Amino acid sequence: MILILIYLTHFFLVVKDLLRGEGGTMKTFNGYQRADGSVGVRNHVIVINAIGKLAGFTRKMAQLVPGVIPVVHQGGEAQFPQDLTQTVRTLQGIAGHPNVSAALILGMKEDNLTHVMEEQLNKERHHVKVLCLDEERTITEMFKKGKQWLKTAVENRRMEKRVSVDVSKLIVGLECGGSDAWSGITANPAIGCFSDYFVKDEGTSILAETTEAIGAEHIIAERAVHPKVSAKFIDMVKEYEERIKETGQDVRSANPSPGNIAGGLTTLEEKSLGCIKKGGNAPLNEVIDYAEPPTKKGFVFMNTPGYDVESVSGLAAGGAQIVLFSTGKGSPTGSPIVPVIKIGSNSELYETMAEHIDVNAGKIMEGSSTRIEMGEEIYNTVINTASGNKTTAEKNGNQEFAIWRLAETI
Amino acid sequence: MAYQFEGYLRSDGTVGTRNYIGVVCSVICSSRVTKEIAENVNDAVPLVHSNGCAQLGDDFTVTRNMLVGMASNPNLYAALLVGLGCETNQISGLLRSIPKNKPLEGIGIQYLAGGKNTINKGMQIAEEWSKKVERKRRIFSITSLSVGVIALDLEDEKLNKVTSIIGKTVDILVKNDATVLMGLTETLAPAYLELSKRTDNDEVKNKFLSLKDRLDRKQWKEAYTSKNIRNSYSKKEKARASLELALTGNSKVRNFLYYSEKPAGNGLYFTKASNNLTETLSAMASSGCNIAIVISSRDILTGSLILPCLTVHSSSSTEYFEDLIDYRLTEEEAEVQAEKIIETLLQVGSGQQTSLEKYDLGEFSIPHVGTTF
Repeated sequence: MILILIYLTHFFLVVKDLLRGEGGTMKTFNGYQRADGSVGVRNHVIVINAIGKLAGFTRKMAQLVPGVIPVVHQGGEAQFPQDLTQTVRTLQGIAGHPNVSAALILGMKEDNLTHVMEEQLNKERHHVKVLCLDEERTITEMFKKGKQWLKTAVENRRMEKRVSVDVSKLIVGLECGGSDAWSGITANPAIGCFSDYFVKDEGTSILAETTEAIGAEHIIAERAVHPKVSAKFIDMVKEYEERIKETGQDVRSANPSPGNIAGGLTTLEEKSLGCIKKGGNAPLNEVIDYAEPPTKKGFVFMNTPGYDVESVSGLAAGGAQIVLFSTGKGSPTGSPIVPVIKIGSNSELYETMAEHIDVNAGKIMEGSSTRIEMGEEIYNTVINTASGNKTTAEKNGNQEFAIWRLAETI
Repeated sequence: MAYQFEGYLRSDGTVGTRNYIGVVCSVICSSRVTKEIAENVNDAVPLVHSNGCAQLGDDFTVTRNMLVGMASNPNLYAALLVGLGCETNQISGLLRSIPKNKPLEGIGIQYLAGGKNTINKGMQIAEEWSKKVERKRRIFSITSLSVGVIALDLEDEKLNKVTSIIGKTVDILVKNDATVLMGLTETLAPAYLELSKRTDNDEVKNKFLSLKDRLDRKQWKEAYTSKNIRNSYSKKEKARASLELALTGNSKVRNFLYYSEKPAGNGLYFTKASNNLTETLSAMASSGCNIAIVISSRDILTGSLILPCLTVHSSSSTEYFEDLIDYRLTEEEAEVQAEKIIETLLQVGSGQQTSLEKYDLGEFSIPHVGTTF
């Protein structure tokens, strides 16, 4: 009798899921309309260094005006051309991001890089200002000038108000970090569910982490809208695995990581099969390189390392306004400009690390929620976050940033 | 004349010129927590970086060795390692590798169930250390100094003058049994043949001769073709390098070290360096340097979090930030100026703040030698 009851309840839940699964009602959020047509979910004022040696000055400059966020890195100088190109693309993507109301770029005139960035960003009508240290006479004057600009930018951003916009204006990055054996069963499939609804609503979801497609690449490739997209994806994954082999190592020997193994994952294939579930079932419309903005809507793949912070930075630079980040072990990282929503894979994690988890997908394994209900909960969280609700990473002040390197420093 | 400075003796016999608690993150994921601990404890410096996970092979080894080297640097009287839990660069592995020359502990966010607990625990540990620390400096001979020397962006004009002053400085340091680690940069590498003649050790000689096809700098964007795209040096590069070589004085060279490799005994060493000053100074600190000299004709805008860096400016032009220059080279005799630089170096070693320290422009960063995955 009990068995029949359980069976009937389960059947009912499945039918309910199927009925809901159609998705599709008009969804909106309140965001900041930018001059280039994009929409921000945050209204940050940032200071960013064009070249590594200005990291310290950038941090100090940001401290002068409350509410200003520093974005610092060590690139932009002493790099091979391919590495420099990727760094500059990432920095431009961050400075011109829809979540950024205004960006102060610290650079050196003698390095030539800063003004190229400024020109491009101005062309795209972003609110940026370049301050070159070698054009200033004293440090005091330089700080004074930067502080004044930032103060005005912080005052002006209050004038910018949120307006209701369609959810199709959103680009959401899909990421995982510190996976366990539950990730592929709870959090990632729930994110996949969200992604499918979101794509139906004409949103753009970008799956990242090429390393974590290794061993499962055929599944995504089959979903490509065009054989060229499929081939590009397969080549990209192969290239990544070869690149790792070139270092004299087999990725399969170091991945799963110690934490993954403790969490119950046994092989890279197992991890990958779980990871790609975040991408749902929608057709693959485009394959883009690290920090590149997508040109197509729908489901897209970005070439990034599995290293969380570098991957999230690449997604942000490519224009993602929000990142969904599943975790089994509990990863606290965020981004300086993009809200990162943490989806915990199990309830124990949600209880012990509540300060770092936004959504508990562990409810699926407890039976108190279905995968599809979780997908809807995630969708609601995305919309609320887009409209201004703070994520745990934002509340904790997690603003990690790192750019994927392609070569050694010269 | 006896060259002396006032420093802090560590249990392994090394001497610190500064007395910090290093709060070191094992991975970028614990960097925020690391910063918060360091901000709330006296003497603490946050050694945060963007590496520590999804790394393989040599790239991972460089990161781990850098952190081991930083934690054991004599300028730290204690080191607290802060991890996440699931990272490649495990705290337990670091703790096993770090020599026990000071109070050392490791904590992790996932083991302590979250960032808040970790911050509280970390502050508690560091505050205990801070209460017990010996703050009195004692006198040591210059032999306890390990000096990182790096020259970047030297203008052609007056190059001979600059190199002779710095060369003299290096010679005095070596003659008095200090340790000197010279950064071997792109501009110096074309002088590999001359360098190979300054050692009697065949192994070291071969290390220099291997620079024939440039410093080994890896590129990994394209698989297969990525390995060491190398060209030989132009005549101009070689001529310039020969001039720059005078920076390194005339002493015998003991070894050419890799990132984080420690010198075996006092004397003159070369070490792999890049034009990224933060990376280079971080590598020197992890090789055990307790002080550094940075020479440039342009602005020196960044230093190290744990090494006091004496900035030597070689240009007489006034368009550079005066506030960031510790010593501006003049027309005086090279010998006189070398003595002045060493005098300043000893003062800085004894606690005098450098201009970069005054402006709080210390950074830390770890070079990559392979892709993250």
